[in-house]
Amino acid sequence: MELQHRFTVPASVDTTWELFNDLEQVAPCFPGASLTSTDGDDFAGTVKVKLGPISLQYNGTGSFVERDVDSHTARFEARGKDKRGNGTAKAAVRTVLTADGDGTAVEVTTDLAITGKPAQFGRGLMQDVSDKLLATFVGCLSDKLAASGQPAPASEPATEESRLEPASAEPSPQQPAGRRPAEKIDALDLGLTVLPVLARRFGPAALALAAVATLVWWLLRRR
Amino acid sequence: MTATTDAPAMEVGRDRRRKEDHRLITGRTRWTDNLSAPGMLHIAMVRSPVAHATIGSVNVKAAQEASGVIAVVTGEDLADEQGTLPNVWSITPEQKVPPHPSVAVDTVRFAGEIVAVVVARSAAQARDAIELVDVDYDDLPVVLDTRDALADGATILHPDLGTNESAHLVLDFQTEGAAGNVDAVIEAASKDGIVFEREYEQQRLIPAFMEPRSMLCDPTGEQIVLWSATQIPHVLRVLLALSLGISESKLRVVAPDVGGGFGGKLQVTPEEFITVLVARRLGKPCKYTETRSESLMAAHHGRAQHQKLTLAAKKDGTVTGLKVELEADMGAYLSLLGGGTPTLGAFMFNAIYKFDAYRFDLRTAFTNKAWTDAYRGAGRPEATFGIERLMDDFAHELGMDPLELREKNWIRHEEFPFTTVAGLEYDSGNYEAATAKAKELFGYDELRAEQAERRDRKDPVQLGIGVSTYTEMCGLAPSRILGALSYAAGGWEHASVRMLPTGKVEVVTGSSAHGQGHETAWSQIAADALGVDFDDIEVLHGDTAVAPRGMDTYGSRSLVVGGMAVVAAAEKVVEKAKVIAAHMLEASPDDVEFAAGAFSVRGTDQAKTMAEVAFAAFAAHDLPDGVEPTLEGDATIDPNTFSYPHGTHLCATEVDTETGQVTIRKYVCVDDIGKVVNPLIVEGQVHGGVVQGIAQALFEEAVYDESGTLITGSFTDYLVPSAADLPTMVTDRTETPATTNPLGVKGVGEAGTIASTPAVVNAAVDALRPYGVDDITMPLSPHRVWRAIQDGADR
Amino acid sequence: MIPARFDYHAPTTLDEAVRLLAGAGDEAKVLAGGQSLLPVLRLRLAAPEVVVDLGRVDELRGVREDGDTLVIGAMTPHAEVAASDVVRRHARVLSEAAATVADPQVRHRGTIGGAIAHADPAGDMPAPVLALGGELVVVGPGGRRTVPADDFFEDLFTTALGDDEILAEVRIPSHQGWGGHYAKFTRVAQQWSIVAVAAAVRTEGGSIAEAKVALTNMGSTVVRATAVEQALVGAEPSDEVVRAAAAQAAEGTSPPSDINGDADFRRNLATVLTRRAVLAAAGS
Repeated sequence: MELQHRFTVPASVDTTWELFNDLEQVAPCFPGASLTSTDGDDFAGTVKVKLGPISLQYNGTGSFVERDVDSHTARFEARGKDKRGNGTAKAAVRTVLTADGDGTAVEVTTDLAITGKPAQFGRGLMQDVSDKLLATFVGCLSDKLAASGQPAPASEPATEESRLEPASAEPSPQQPAGRRPAEKIDALDLGLTVLPVLARRFGPAALALAAVATLVWWLLRRR
Repeated sequence: MTATTDAPAMEVGRDRRRKEDHRLITGRTRWTDNLSAPGMLHIAMVRSPVAHATIGSVNVKAAQEASGVIAVVTGEDLADEQGTLPNVWSITPEQKVPPHPSVAVDTVRFAGEIVAVVVARSAAQARDAIELVDVDYDDLPVVLDTRDALADGATILHPDLGTNESAHLVLDFQTEGAAGNVDAVIEAASKDGIVFEREYEQQRLIPAFMEPRSMLCDPTGEQIVLWSATQIPHVLRVLLALSLGISESKLRVVAPDVGGGFGGKLQVTPEEFITVLVARRLGKPCKYTETRSESLMAAHHGRAQHQKLTLAAKKDGTVTGLKVELEADMGAYLSLLGGGTPTLGAFMFNAIYKFDAYRFDLRTAFTNKAWTDAYRGAGRPEATFGIERLMDDFAHELGMDPLELREKNWIRHEEFPFTTVAGLEYDSGNYEAATAKAKELFGYDELRAEQAERRDRKDPVQLGIGVSTYTEMCGLAPSRILGALSYAAGGWEHASVRMLPTGKVEVVTGSSAHGQGHETAWSQIAADALGVDFDDIEVLHGDTAVAPRGMDTYGSRSLVVGGMAVVAAAEKVVEKAKVIAAHMLEASPDDVEFAAGAFSVRGTDQAKTMAEVAFAAFAAHDLPDGVEPTLEGDATIDPNTFSYPHGTHLCATEVDTETGQVTIRKYVCVDDIGKVVNPLIVEGQVHGGVVQGIAQALFEEAVYDESGTLITGSFTDYLVPSAADLPTMVTDRTETPATTNPLGVKGVGEAGTIASTPAVVNAAVDALRPYGVDDITMPLSPHRVWRAIQDGADR
Repeated sequence: MIPARFDYHAPTTLDEAVRLLAGAGDEAKVLAGGQSLLPVLRLRLAAPEVVVDLGRVDELRGVREDGDTLVIGAMTPHAEVAASDVVRRHARVLSEAAATVADPQVRHRGTIGGAIAHADPAGDMPAPVLALGGELVVVGPGGRRTVPADDFFEDLFTTALGDDEILAEVRIPSHQGWGGHYAKFTRVAQQWSIVAVAAAVRTEGGSIAEAKVALTNMGSTVVRATAVEQALVGAEPSDEVVRAAAAQAAEGTSPPSDINGDADFRRNLATVLTRRAVLAAAGS
């Protein structure tokens, strides 16, 4: 199924582009997602999908397959398997950014293929559920960018190399994004806009991830 | 003993309640899943969630270490033993048959294909462990429609075959007086007649029998015993032996009570192969019972055809030629009958009408879906649907009443026996009588008047009338014809009738009932033939050790072929008993008469009952020369021809044009199935058959999404109707006995299904003709009907 | 099908149930009638570690009047709701809706509280409760709170119920004297609603004084058809007038598309069923 989402953020195209190309920023925005490892363009992680009584956990991998800074088009693909053999999920996500005044218009197109039980027994609800998860994902990114609606750090050229820096700046790049020791966590107040939305929908798990997201955002700001 | 002892009343024709029902309905019987063997282990299957992929790796370590797990077996492990699942029908000499492993080795080709097998001490442990098997799939493009499968550049499911087409069968028929083949006839009609073309869809259906498939294999005795909820214990035994290299005499197959099949259990399945191989490997009894969701996904599906029909006719509506082009979806592999199922329809598209020329052009193709095979009617409902929809549509085109058009073209009563353009000789029939009766019961003229009235006042609820005048070929089948069609087995049936010393009877039949009521019907037949009490007869079946000879049950064959074998075997018993009785009565066999269960000397009151003769044969103290002890008869019948039941079904539907809801207002069927052995059983078959046909018209469809997942994976979405959704039917019969067997019977198992689907669809389309609707794809969901009305308005 | 292992508790009081739930964290599920949860467990679409069965908590079951309010215990089965004269008198449309749920077997096990807490967009219980302005009484470790139906149904399968809270009661202001009708559209008898409409109507002097209309399966949650309700104030209960009002039924909705029908079809159904439900409610 193909899902489309559009939104505008009061951040510059460059800042937005940076965010979208940073796995450790993007991935935690997906509800129930956590990265277990990143390696350049590739990543591994899990996504816990909890909706109503249904609870599934997908383990998988993904990678960026295209980054075109000229057209501000990025594509990444991910595929995972439910840990109990309930089926697979494959997503191909394409984001296109266009300048919109001082801000950026973002278009996210997702091609999602879900096999196995959720599709078999889902009564056709998978479309709706996927749409909601995507909407939350996109909303989280949007909120992050809105909160970062400040002049982009001019000293940072948006080159491929520097975008990959965040991982290598870490003592142990294999650690999940959340466990960055000795970093201050005083960015939580900014998360207050993001947290209630996620918490209402997805409970404690989302709360934790939102905390991670704001933390990462804070780190991004610092550079 | 005198000849005037109380005699049992005539059984054949009597409304006997079924002997088997009490235990079947209360469940006080041993269904396969109820069986247990000492030390029995449980099997669970790891099935692919993806429709087309190469298997990267199968990691079984975690599963092997799970609690209670005895073994985890992959396709690699079984590669040398599992052979290939059999296909027994080459519809053309060039038919392509891909290898069909029970457990996938390097590629999966449909969602639900087995990739690993877990064996554990309990069913729950096996179920837990399958979650721990980690399979890596590398997705391949998915092909979901025969049109895509046969198009240039399509992804090929079986690369070694180089194509997704399994076979292309063309049968060209013409009568002696025909001007040429169907092309010539169509050509002629295009000049001074009418050429009328239509395309119809046969959606994919799931047989959805009530009892999920179950099997238990015990390898510990001298013989390997396989209990399986199957329709075909005999066929299964032979094929297991041939495919797995097990000596046939070391194999015993038992079909215990089976909870419905409808063709869906007419299969040699990967699950059965696996259960036997694993049990043999482990040396312990192993049981596998599928879950309902596995059943819907992986037990074979039915129908699934694209149909194109071209009709050539004269301007007055007399038909002259018919061309049928079919694309039949085989699914990922060829099943047991494979392309044979649509091929059975080849002889039925011409139906009850007289054509000069007829062509049947069938292409069978592979797709990444569950394999298809026989489902109630097996090729004949598809054919009847095509021709009966065509006739109603053509009648509308001509502005002619649909019954009138049919009568113009059908074989008249006085023309029987009639050889059709397809080369079959219909022995008897009376389409006029069945139709007249149906019309009267239906109130045809009154309903037409109401239809006109509703149209006039533009009532949001419209009325439609649909017709289906069908015939079908059943009593499968004369073995020589099967041979000519390259079907690998024969079509005979066997029975033994055994008089026990105490006068009770055992009838051993090669038929394999799975709900049809054979125990009752065979008892009625034997009771009349032997003059023995209905309740003194036991019918034994389903176990190759008890009923060693048989060709099992499908294709509405059991009464016509199996029942005849019982008649023939009973006659042999009576013949032998007569000789013994004559000897006991010190008379010549020519002077001995047999009536009401007793042998008497003509003109005297001296007599011996069958029971007395049976005991004498057992004691053997004084038997005539050349007569062996015991009283038993054996017969194997190979039918000479098919039998041809027919009938007229009329359906009135109300269509709510605001919501698209189709409701059956009245359903009348008048069927001619020859002589009736048990009217209650016939009613049951007709009701059940009609319901399945209505279900195809209005409710059921196996739907796959673009990834190849069956999204009608449970009864929440695969809509099998219940009694609450169905009308009360009016059923009646005419009786034109078959001339080709002594009982005059024709078979009724599939007739209801064959007839009803087009009757219902014709009725709904008829209701909506004023709305610009001329066809709606099945199932006629409210959504589709409403959409057709909206589209019709736009036209 | 066999569920994965879980620890099972069957408390006999609500307090005990709340305690058990609080102690189990987010790996626990509450079991009411099981008609939604058990299939999920058996299909292994979820594998909670703990299941707290409310089947023995008698205090949660029963229908009673509390002044002008109809009170139904969360563990009251649909069959009991449908058969109750008290429910019929105070909330006719709820009575009708309960009688349409699935089939008799399901109605004798499934509960009103379970259905509401589950918040299946195609479930029948939320629409009458929302239409009649009901309130849900929720009990948790923090105590008891009351949530208006307007605020309770948040999203697909998502309600205001916290993970450690239990829905205890459904409270509905009496609509005695109102007509009510639940028009449900399905293909087969025991199916979930493709679309359904709950209508409650008060007539005065031959016209509709007030109407309350809620739609099932026209979005990720139940919705009120407020445009229709407004258009019906003072309206003549005739086919023509109600038809015009009902034409707005789908406004503001985002119906799903699935194998039973696409969004357009559902929008059409909503208008047709709304008209039929309102006319029936006005006439009843």
